[in-house]
Amino acid sequence: MKLDHSQPLEYSTGQNNLNIFGFWIFLGAEIMLFATLFTSYFTLEHRTGSGPTGAEIFEITPVLIETILLLTSSFVIGLGIHAMRLGKQKAMISFFAITLLLGLAFLGVEIYEFVHYVHIGAGLQTSAFTAILLTTLGTHGLHVTFGLFWGLAIILQVKKCGLTPETANKSFIFSLYWHFLDVVWIFIFSFIYLKGMM
Amino acid sequence: MEFFERFAVPHPSPAIYASMVVIGLSVIAIIAGLTYFKKWGYLWREWLTTVDHKRIGLMYLISALLMLFRGGVDAIMMRAQLSAPDNKLLDAQHYNEIFTTHGVVMIIFMAMPFIFAFMNYVVPLQIGARDVAFPRLNAISFWLFFMGAMLFNISFVLGGSPDAGWTSYFPLAGTEFSESVGTNYYMIAIQISGLGSLMTGINMITTIIKMRAPGMTLMKMPMFTWSTLVANLIIVTVFPVLTVALTMGTMDRLFATNFFTSTNGGMDMLWANLFWVWGHPEVYILILPAFGIYSEIISTFSSKNLYGYKSMVASMVIISVLSCLVWAHHFFTMGQGAAANSFFSITTMAIAVPTGVKIFNWLFTMWKGKIRFTVPMLYSVGFIPLFTIGGVTGVMLAMSAADYQYHNTMFLVAHFHNTIIPGVVFAMLAGLTYYWPKMFGFMLNERIGKWTFWLLSIGFVLAFFPMYITGLDGQARRMYTYSEATGFGALNMLSFVGAGIMAIAFALIVYNVYYSIRYSPRNIGSDPWDARTLEWATNTPVPEYNFAVTPQVNSIQPFWDSKKKGHVLFPAKLDKIHMPNNSGMPFILCSIFFVWGFSFVFAIWPLVILSTIGIFACLALRSFEKDHGRYISVEEIIETEEKTGGAKL
Amino acid sequence: MKELFPVKQVMGFVFSLIFTAIALSVYFFDLSFAAGLTILIVTAFIQAILQLVVFMHAGETKDKWAIYGNVYFMIFIGLITIFGTLFLFIWDM
Repeated sequence: MKLDHSQPLEYSTGQNNLNIFGFWIFLGAEIMLFATLFTSYFTLEHRTGSGPTGAEIFEITPVLIETILLLTSSFVIGLGIHAMRLGKQKAMISFFAITLLLGLAFLGVEIYEFVHYVHIGAGLQTSAFTAILLTTLGTHGLHVTFGLFWGLAIILQVKKCGLTPETANKSFIFSLYWHFLDVVWIFIFSFIYLKGMM
Repeated sequence: MEFFERFAVPHPSPAIYASMVVIGLSVIAIIAGLTYFKKWGYLWREWLTTVDHKRIGLMYLISALLMLFRGGVDAIMMRAQLSAPDNKLLDAQHYNEIFTTHGVVMIIFMAMPFIFAFMNYVVPLQIGARDVAFPRLNAISFWLFFMGAMLFNISFVLGGSPDAGWTSYFPLAGTEFSESVGTNYYMIAIQISGLGSLMTGINMITTIIKMRAPGMTLMKMPMFTWSTLVANLIIVTVFPVLTVALTMGTMDRLFATNFFTSTNGGMDMLWANLFWVWGHPEVYILILPAFGIYSEIISTFSSKNLYGYKSMVASMVIISVLSCLVWAHHFFTMGQGAAANSFFSITTMAIAVPTGVKIFNWLFTMWKGKIRFTVPMLYSVGFIPLFTIGGVTGVMLAMSAADYQYHNTMFLVAHFHNTIIPGVVFAMLAGLTYYWPKMFGFMLNERIGKWTFWLLSIGFVLAFFPMYITGLDGQARRMYTYSEATGFGALNMLSFVGAGIMAIAFALIVYNVYYSIRYSPRNIGSDPWDARTLEWATNTPVPEYNFAVTPQVNSIQPFWDSKKKGHVLFPAKLDKIHMPNNSGMPFILCSIFFVWGFSFVFAIWPLVILSTIGIFACLALRSFEKDHGRYISVEEIIETEEKTGGAKL
Repeated sequence: MKELFPVKQVMGFVFSLIFTAIALSVYFFDLSFAAGLTILIVTAFIQAILQLVVFMHAGETKDKWAIYGNVYFMIFIGLITIFGTLFLFIWDM
């Protein structure tokens, strides 16, 4: 394995470069995945059958809390990568841990939100609108859940092996994933919630 | 007992019982054979755990050929049923199942792996790379495809085949009208193999963008590599759409949601919409690599550079964008207004322009060339007029007003077979003959190959051209029979004869393989066709590391230049080579995926949860695994090079 | 401590909060549908690009043409899918 010291650690080997590039292509596929969910959402948005409409069930407070939590976590993981590039392993691990805690809090609020929807009669089977709403939110939520386990695995590996080309590469890719989830949330926040409550 | 009742086939027939026996016997025969010849270890070490792009390519090839024959048997049964009016060979239900599995198998489990076989085998060689960017992911892609295909194929002996057409339109595909688990198989099996295709897409794009030999700029890439790049870009773009559509369909069927139902706001048209957002680009995913193969073959056997390289590239890029802009032409009759139909009509017709550019480029490549009519070249030359007819009828179908007449008739069936068979199947057979010596070290027999080509072409014309006429006369597709008064009988009999001739041609391919294994000479060297690109610059058989020294590229035909113009292909010295290790993880992971899919089809939830945990456990293990690959020493390289036909240094 | 908080990223964070607040205005003020949607589209895409450039470092390697090219291609086809479907099922049916 040839090391290129002119580059940050996460770019220092040929395989690392491939991994980061490949992950960007994967994020392209994710863009299309969420674009398809939005396509279906916009098509089915007003097809509520006998169920409630969006304006009837959306509440601004939990949604705003979720938004702030995820925005902050995206900022914090950015700081984590910055710390990693400075070679500050401890600071990096702390930032990553804060990120995951914020993600966990986000998930907690989202689960509360889901329970609330089901409680007021907007379950998965109620109408086409509720089905696509919960599927779109759920797909994002599952991504966050997967990210929590993934991030935990990465923190453990950085702790165990230190900052090597491999662990730095994994951490950087994880940060791309996490930022991307924030971008998706911005669109969910704007075009599902705010547009629905407008 | 109740638990096992769900696995019973709801609509059995002697043919299904017979195939159960055949499947059972062949599984026993394979297991017994492997045990008797003590090949289990060999199978595991050399194939099941391999991450070598060439072996994965060969496994794709074998799977594709097997599926070709499975789909082909379906086709023959359909043509036999329709050969005479009021025929009683198959009943409506069996006919439905057969045309459904024929479509799915041919598109997803035959054509896709066939192009993946060539992408995997050829692209790293063409760009002078040692392997693909992510060798282990590549193995996972293959095994996901393979498990998806196997899951789909057991449907007709366990629980019943899908019967809602390869497009599986709702509400027909919903639980109300498709009660058996057949459509579950459709949803889950395609989901699993689609995941594999998506990973291949990411892998190939990364490989081509990042791993080309020094000197090979984008505009010096061989045409097949270009077509692979564009096709994989489309894969990464549209397969997520299919993922979402299939997920929603699965939820409708298993969790009683209302995406595509007719109640509570559900919209069945949305399925058709999402399906074709994926489905139309999908046909370009298949045809572009086929175009790439034709470009390589026509250039080689015309002994000329490819004419209009830049316009070839530009037309493929334009096709990649346009292919995502035309999907609504599959449902002009669904009720949207004239404005929408006109828009999609025009974009569809526009695709004929870049495609026409390519046709003319091939013709100009042959113009004044020294043409050698080998078998691959015959297929390519036959492709041009036949495919053009298919393309022109496509433009007819693209006119939305006229489409009200053609929609859902045999005219459409004739059209898409007329593009797919001369377009994709001919290309695959041409590619198979062309790359066979590189893959196996001997040529396929030319005389039998030429017989195959002529039989296949004549059979094709006889089988499908009559459908244009019966279609215009109003014969609907997917109808299991028709009355004598319609007068379709004679032309359908002609189609059946054509299908029979095609079947003979495919049997000849098998015979050709057998004959060539026995009688073909083995001392053919590494460049039997006098070709132009890098894949012919390695030894045959190709060593696992592909090139002992990374080649240096100067033009779009570096190997030709090294033969004729004294270009130095391998300027560097030998060095040790880094290679990835084999791994059993992909096979195990995908076997768990098979269990996951199977239990999902039958809604056996404890097993679904267990296998989901298993899948994530595999991923976690992989994350914590330390595997830095291995090195091949210089001595080993020299030894291998001498064994495989002399060092090319 | 200060070096752990680079100005560029802090500014990025502040701006994304500001744009979130601007987007919120469609909830608190009584705007027309067109005006509200325009605000949402503008703020959402600015925030997305902010994340892409500031936090995700999309342009830091020599592959940036391919990375940006891929992302923009996907966004383009994604928008085509969304608007094409709306065209078929909402605006022209």
